[in-house]
Order: sequence, then structure tokens, then C-alpha cells
Amino acid sequence: MPKVKIDGRVVEVEPGTTVLAAAEKAGVRIPRLCVVPGLYEGSSCRVCLVKTPAGRLFPACNYRVYRDEEFVATSPDLWEMRRVNFELLLAFHRIECWQCERKGACSLVSLAKELGVEGIPVCSECPLPPSECLLRRGILCLGMITLAGCEAECVAGGGECWGCRGPITRADVLERAFKRYSELGFDVTSVVSKAEIFWNSLDSFGVVKSVAGRASGGGRG
Amino acid sequence: MEEKGAPPNPDELFRGLQRAPHNLIEALRRVQAHYGYLPLEGIKMAADYVGVPLAQAYGVATFYHQYSLEPLGKYRILLCMGTACHLAGNRLNAEFLRSLLGLKPGQKTTSDMLFSVEEARCFGCCGLAPVVMILKPDGTNEIIGRANPRSLRAAVERYRRLERGGSG
Amino acid sequence: MTWTLLDRCCDRCTHSVENPCKDYVECRLNGPLCHEDERCRELRRRRLEELAYGEKGAKIKVPMASCTLAMGSEAVYNAVLEAVEKLGVEATVTISGCYGMDFIDPWVEFSAKGMPTAIYARVRPADVPKLIESYFIKRDVSGAFALKERTGGALGEEKVPLLSELDFWRKQYKWVSRNCGVVNPESLEEYVASGGYRGLSKALKVGPERVIDEIQKSGLRGRGGAGFPTGLKWKLARQQPATPKYVIANADEGDPGAFMNRLLAESDPFRIVEGLTIAGYAVGASQGFIFVRAEKPMMAKRLRRAVEEARKYGLLGRNILGSGFDFDIEVILSAGAFVCGEETAMIAAIEGKRAWPRQRPPYPAEKGLWGKPTIVNNVETLAHAATIMAEGAEKFAAVGTERTKGTKMFCVTGNVKRVGAYEVPIGVSVRYLVEELAGGPPDGSKIKAVQIGGPSGGCIPAALLDLPIDYETLQGAGAIMGSGGIVVMTEDTCMVDAAKFFLTFTSAESCGKCVPCRVGLRTMWNILDKITRGEGTEEDLHTLRQMAETVRSFSLCALGGTAPNPVLSTLRHFVDEYMAHIRDKVCPAMVCRALIAYRIDEERCIACGQCAMNCPVSAISRVESGKYRIDKEKCISCGICFAVCPVKVITKVPRGSLGGGHA
Repeated sequence: MPKVKIDGRVVEVEPGTTVLAAAEKAGVRIPRLCVVPGLYEGSSCRVCLVKTPAGRLFPACNYRVYRDEEFVATSPDLWEMRRVNFELLLAFHRIECWQCERKGACSLVSLAKELGVEGIPVCSECPLPPSECLLRRGILCLGMITLAGCEAECVAGGGECWGCRGPITRADVLERAFKRYSELGFDVTSVVSKAEIFWNSLDSFGVVKSVAGRASGGGRG
Repeated sequence: MEEKGAPPNPDELFRGLQRAPHNLIEALRRVQAHYGYLPLEGIKMAADYVGVPLAQAYGVATFYHQYSLEPLGKYRILLCMGTACHLAGNRLNAEFLRSLLGLKPGQKTTSDMLFSVEEARCFGCCGLAPVVMILKPDGTNEIIGRANPRSLRAAVERYRRLERGGSG
Repeated sequence: MTWTLLDRCCDRCTHSVENPCKDYVECRLNGPLCHEDERCRELRRRRLEELAYGEKGAKIKVPMASCTLAMGSEAVYNAVLEAVEKLGVEATVTISGCYGMDFIDPWVEFSAKGMPTAIYARVRPADVPKLIESYFIKRDVSGAFALKERTGGALGEEKVPLLSELDFWRKQYKWVSRNCGVVNPESLEEYVASGGYRGLSKALKVGPERVIDEIQKSGLRGRGGAGFPTGLKWKLARQQPATPKYVIANADEGDPGAFMNRLLAESDPFRIVEGLTIAGYAVGASQGFIFVRAEKPMMAKRLRRAVEEARKYGLLGRNILGSGFDFDIEVILSAGAFVCGEETAMIAAIEGKRAWPRQRPPYPAEKGLWGKPTIVNNVETLAHAATIMAEGAEKFAAVGTERTKGTKMFCVTGNVKRVGAYEVPIGVSVRYLVEELAGGPPDGSKIKAVQIGGPSGGCIPAALLDLPIDYETLQGAGAIMGSGGIVVMTEDTCMVDAAKFFLTFTSAESCGKCVPCRVGLRTMWNILDKITRGEGTEEDLHTLRQMAETVRSFSLCALGGTAPNPVLSTLRHFVDEYMAHIRDKVCPAMVCRALIAYRIDEERCIACGQCAMNCPVSAISRVESGKYRIDKEKCISCGICFAVCPVKVITKVPRGSLGGGHA
């Protein structure tokens, strides 16, 4: 049986095993996204790429081992490129966690955490289902425009989000969030003034204000 | 020539073509040759004939750029977008034609269905850059080498005159 | 019906398609081999002469390839038919492929016994009667562009150079393109008469192992760009136990600016068919495919015809040349997708699916078409293989470099005097191709950069023109040999715009399967677009580099893996130009629209009104003097007025220079 060495750990596997399965056996965590065994062959998202000693990259989900081989699954450069690649993936996602049913079960969100990519709103961690959203109850919650990472502590504790972790800075996500605020009957200026409490001294607040300005201008026009 | 637009008889349309999934690309080509584009019923016909799900046939139809899912103009003006043609100014020619024919962004075909303007891949006639090809309804084509706004305006006017003469 | 070289000479010949003779091919030229008869020998000699000078001792050849047709060779052909009829000239009128010299299109070639064969350049239909009259009736060749030999039998011979004296011909090494423009591409007889099918005949006699040995000995590497040793590829596929096996000829020539495969397939299609047959024999396949790019239907037409002809004479089908080897070829026309040039994507396309590449390994040699061992070779590689089998590996390996043997066809386009396809030994310098063969840039302009290898390649600056062209050497400078397309750019080309152009192409052609290529190229394009609008920052250059590295190393297939090359190479060699856009908001080549403006020199304006008539935004109006002026507030800098002005009095100026007030 072929021996596979991943990040220094050696495991023996059946011939034809994927590197991903071998890594699991070896206790090495490799991020993954697109592969669905039996349904999709993978190799599309490229977040599970591993490196051979010769420096060649292969997707762990798709590369099958037939002889003794060695791979690097975690190295700073690999991690950095995975991160850039994942940011690209995220760049074309709408990130409307506030109306998404997946919430905690979302592999994009968990991958973002794993790779240290920011830009996901607190809503992704909110314990309330979209139907019980605080905003629907008339409570001005800043979850839609605040960076996740706090496990939505305030909402879990019965309050609303005050934005302590700082704002989302992607303009298109902010635009959609402000659109949602107005749909739910919140005035843009009231959102901005609530945000001022934590964000007033932040450079990134400028982006929020300019999007908000456009949103309210567009609303009046 | 056969009347376009009438639903074809699949046995005639696909004559000589083996009923196998790998013939999907050729089957779709024949459908497009019949209708001038790929209407949904035509894609379905091709899918049924070669034996693949409609989803797969639709996936193929949208993937390759020789297929068009919308009807195209009687005269199809193709501008070569190869490197030599780009450097020699075909992007400008494209813009000129679009403005001459009054096409809005994203619109390929004029509302009278007479002309469509398409950007095409390199024709490999780089010696004549920039190259514009006009596909005519009879299946022949006119190639305009070293094209410029003046020669393109002249060509468009020539075909317009031809059409007026033909219908009036 | 005339007797052709492909027919049996007499009843003693035992050959038939059903019961083929092993020596059929050799017997055509040097026969008869199984019996001795001077009449049969004479029959062959006479036919060969007929092929050279026509059945009536005079022959007119008109090229019929996409490039010459685009220049009107069909009208010339019709004019020739009309003129010979009218003038009563007894000449055979036939078609040929193309010499690859685009700058003389459309050309015609006249030959007659006792006269030098003469090529006439840039022929218009109206010129034809005069040319025919002077050559065939007055026996005067003084108006010709070049002669193929001197006979002393015609007037004005001394005024015309020999083709072999002209630089762009003399300095080539015609190996695989030897028949291009010479033979009739629709005639198997002419191909055999010029030495065709000797390679296959020899291959079938020595056996598949020796064929692979011979190809390995020649050092032939894939001419599609990747440069994998062809013999090794064949060997790997031959060793696979699974059957059936398939061989595919890659004729999906998609690089903008590359047309050597088209030229070869339209001018000498049988060589490709023969090469694919040899490949099939070597690896043990019984079915071959030729996958042709959608935009080049004439290639498919010629190849299909060649396959039919070969089948008709038993060079495809059952028991080829009595060897027991069965093989057939299907020509498939693509529906248009650049990514089909990637071998796994091409396999998916032949299977009738979306042309999505898949991760290798497994390589197609192991699991390819329908999961069976498959090799994919570029058509030029296959044509080389056929020629090597006929001429021997030593002759092929006599030229080239230490690492890479043989010749390669290159297409030189863009701003040069002689656009064309040229065949040279691998290892000549870029300068040799661009200046000595293609004649350099038009007078008065200077080469700024040379783009090599299409959208997968890179731009090298004029200072590096002496680099030898090989698979490896150019990589050091950030370019690749690729399929062999060379685009020459002069001072009026903006390198940022050029990089953007290639990304426009590759991002549109990305199949969408993997993230870095689908999203990364689009993101890179956005950054370049921002820079060309004068809104870029130095930070953007950093992001661009980082993005390029990620796309290059993370993409699934070679499309994404090489697509950042035009950006990386321009960033490396022309970073000043990027900085001019970013820091000074100036496009030094005056190309980027947001950074330039147009101005009419009212002194020299002839008041024809062409500019105003063609302006899409009505920004040009007549002023008191009757001349025209551009309203810079309305002007969108599209450049149409610049293009249509008949007296060229409209100039480009940097946008910043216009200032606030009216000039």
C-alpha cells in the first residue's frame, strides 16, 4: 500500500485514495469547498491545493495516490495564495447573509474564518432565523454592515448589534444592506448615527458614509 | 433555399448523424443552420436526437460562442478581434458601426433585423488587418480588409440599398 | 479520363484497395516495381511532367486559401478562366495553397515548358488578361514578382529576381511547409508525386517500435507550445494496456495572430492526415480525430476532403497498404471556444460536452477520450512526424539547437513590412524573423516590443530582440515560443492597453470551471481598465502582481496558468509606461482614450465635414471660418474623426494639455 507523507505525517492508504482522504487519515486539515464525492469531481475552487516537493500544485480532492508520495498542505506561501484565491471567490458572492437560510451551515463563511478572510457580516453568526430578524421587529441592529467574528454575542444575549467589530467595506455589500434597511423602514441617517458610536474614528467609516450618502440621495431622487 | 423558421423534420435535419451523445455539437450546428439561431425547441430536438438531457444540451449551447440563442441579423458583420486587428483599430470600427446602426450597449442586432454586429476571434488573415467579415444570407461572405469607418459606412449603405431595391 | 499516378499502370499490377500492395507508394514514382515494362515507366514520367506543366504544356496556378481568398483570389481565378478562353491560351488552370507570404496576396503563378516559372504579386482581376498575354503569348516575364528558375527562354528574365535570391525566401528553411503553395491541396496525386506517403509506407514496413524510435531519435517536440517530446508521448500511450486507443490532431489554432496551422492544413492537408495515420499506427490506435477551430472552416473542408481521398485510395481504412493496420479519421469542426486547444478540454468537446478541462493526472495518454488512452498532437507536430518518417531523423535533427531539433513555422504580424508565415530552424533570433524575414517595421517607425506566443505569451522589449527562439530561452524573458505567433508593436502601441487586450481575450475565453481563472482574470482586467482610465494607484500594481501570481499557480489548466504572462511581462519590461498612466495620467503612446483628446488643425482643415458627419456624439461643429472644431466637453475621444479625416489634420494631444480654457 502506498505511503503518503503530508506535512511530515505518514499514513498508509489504499491505492487510488485522494490526498484529501489521506490527509484526513493523517489528521492534517486541508480546506475544501467544491468537491462533493460521488457528485462533483472537484478541482474547481482550488482552495485544497497541496504542493509536491518539486513545487507542483495539485488539488487534494482530485489527486489520487498510487505510490509513495509527499505533499505539503500547510505552508505560509500556500496559505497566502489560498487566501487570495478565496477572496476572489468571495468577490463575486453577494454576501447577503441576512436573508440566507444556510447561516451556520455555510461552508463559505466557515472557510472565510479558516483562511482569515474578512468581509462577512455579523448576520452570518446570528442565532435568529431570518424570519425572526430584529430588524423586522423594528429594532435597529447593525449586524448587516458589521464584520463578523464575535459569534453575535449581543444578539445571543438578547440585544442588537452595535457594530463594535467595525464596518464591512465592500461597497456593493453595503449598498445591498442599506437597501434592505430602507425596505424595512429604517432611515439611512439613523443607521449612520448609530454606527458613529463605534466607528467615528475609523478610516473605513468613510466608505460606509459615502455609500449611505448615495443610498439616501438615490432614495430622495 | 429552404424556408427558415419552419419547424424542421428531425430525421431530415440530422440525416447521416449517428444518434450518439458526442454528436451533440454537430446536431446543434445543424439546428442553428436551419433557424439562423438556436431556439429552445431546436435545442430540445437536438438533445432528444442524440440522447442527452436538455440541461446538458443547453449547457453546450451556451458554452460555445458560435451558437447564438437569439435571432441574428440578415447580414452578420463580424469584426476580427485578433491582436493585429486590435492594434490596427478594429475596436474603433466596432464602435463606429454600433453608433452608425444605432445599437445600444448589449444590443447585437438592429431592430429591423437587417444587421448584427459581433466581435469575432482571430480569422488568421492578419496581413489584411483590420479585417471585417460580412456573412450574407446566401451563405457567402464579403471580407473587408484594412477596414475603416469610411469603407464600413459604404458597405452598410450598399446593403441597405440592396435591401430597399429588393423589397421595393 | 486521364490516367493518374494513383491508378494501376497495367493488368500486371496486383494492387487494389481491397487487396493492397505493400509497395504501392514507392511504385507510383519509381515503378513499376513488380514487373518491368518501359511503357509503364513512360506512363509515369509523362504524368509527372503533366503535373508540372499541365496537360497542354502550360499551367496557371491560383492560390485558394483563406488568406488569398480574403484578398480576392477567387475573382482572379475567374478572370484567369475567362482570359485563357478569350486569348486562346492552352493552359491548365489549377489551384494551390499559399506560400505564406501574405504581402503578395493574391498572387498567381505561370509556368510553361521552356519558360521560367513566374510568380506575379498583388494581382487584380483586371490585370489578368495583360499578364497572361505577356507571359504565354509574348513570352515576356519582366512584370513578374519573382522567378523560380532561369531558363533563358523568356524576355526580361534578367529584370526579375529569383525567388531563391529574395531574403524572405532564401533565409527560410522549408521543411514541413515545403509543399505549401506548391501543390494542389485537393489532389492526393500531387501530394504523392511530391514525395508524400513515403513516411507512412516506411513506417508500416518497420513496425511501431521502430517508428517511435525514429521519432525519439529526431528529438521532435510538440509544436503546439508545451514542447513535450513527441516520441515519448507516443511510447507512453503505446505501453497502456487498455484498448481501444485514440489519436487526436489538434487543429484548434486559436491564438490571435497565429495562422501557421491553418496555412499548413489548407495548403498541404495530406501531410497532416499522413502524420496522424503514422501516430495511430505507432500507439496502436484505430481511430483518429482532427479537431478544427470553428473560425477556420476552410481547414476542416480541406482536411475532410483529404481524408476522403486517402480513404478512396486505401491510405485510410482497412488493411492499409497490406500491413494489416486498420485506421480511420473523422474531422470535427469545433463550435468555438479557445479553451478547446487544451487537450483535456478538446477531449470533452469531442465527447459532445462543454469544453471543460479536467485536472491532470491522469494524463490523456492513460485516460483520455471516453476514458481510453489518447494522444493529442498539434497538426504541425504530426506533419513533422510524417516528414521525419520520409526523410529520416538525421535530416530533421541537422538544424535546431542542442535541446530542440528541427524547424518551426512562425507567423509574423502587426507592424511589419512583410506579414507572413515563415519556417526557420528553432534557435534563430527574434530579430532574424522580425527584421530579415518580415522586413522590420514600416519606414519611419521603430519597434517597441514584440509579443510572442499569443495570449499565453509575453511582450519582450526591442532590446531583447537578439534572444534565440526556443521553448526554454524566451521563458527567462517572460515570454514563450508558444504556437509561434509573433506580433510586432511599434511606438504607437500602448503596452498597458496591449496587456488589457490580452486579458479581455483570456477572461472572455475562460471556461469558468476554476476560480482563479474565472474571477482572477476578470479582477486583473478591472485593475488594468482602471489604470488605462488614469485612475490607477501604485498599490494597484502590487495587487496586480499578487493576483497574477495566484492565477498563474492556482489555475486548473494552461489557459489560466499562462494568461497572466502578458501582464507580468509588460510589468517587468514596461513598468515606466504603467507609471506614466498612474502618476502623470498620461498615455505615452496616445492610445488610452481617457487620457487623450483630439484637436483639429484649423489652418490645414479643408472643411470637408467628414469628421462632423461621423462623430457619434455630435461634438464637432462648423465655426465662423467654415472650418471644424471639436467641443472638448462633448468629445468622448473615440477617435473616429481621426480615422476618417482625409487630410490627416486631426491630432492627438494629452488630455491634460487642453487645460480649462478653450484653445
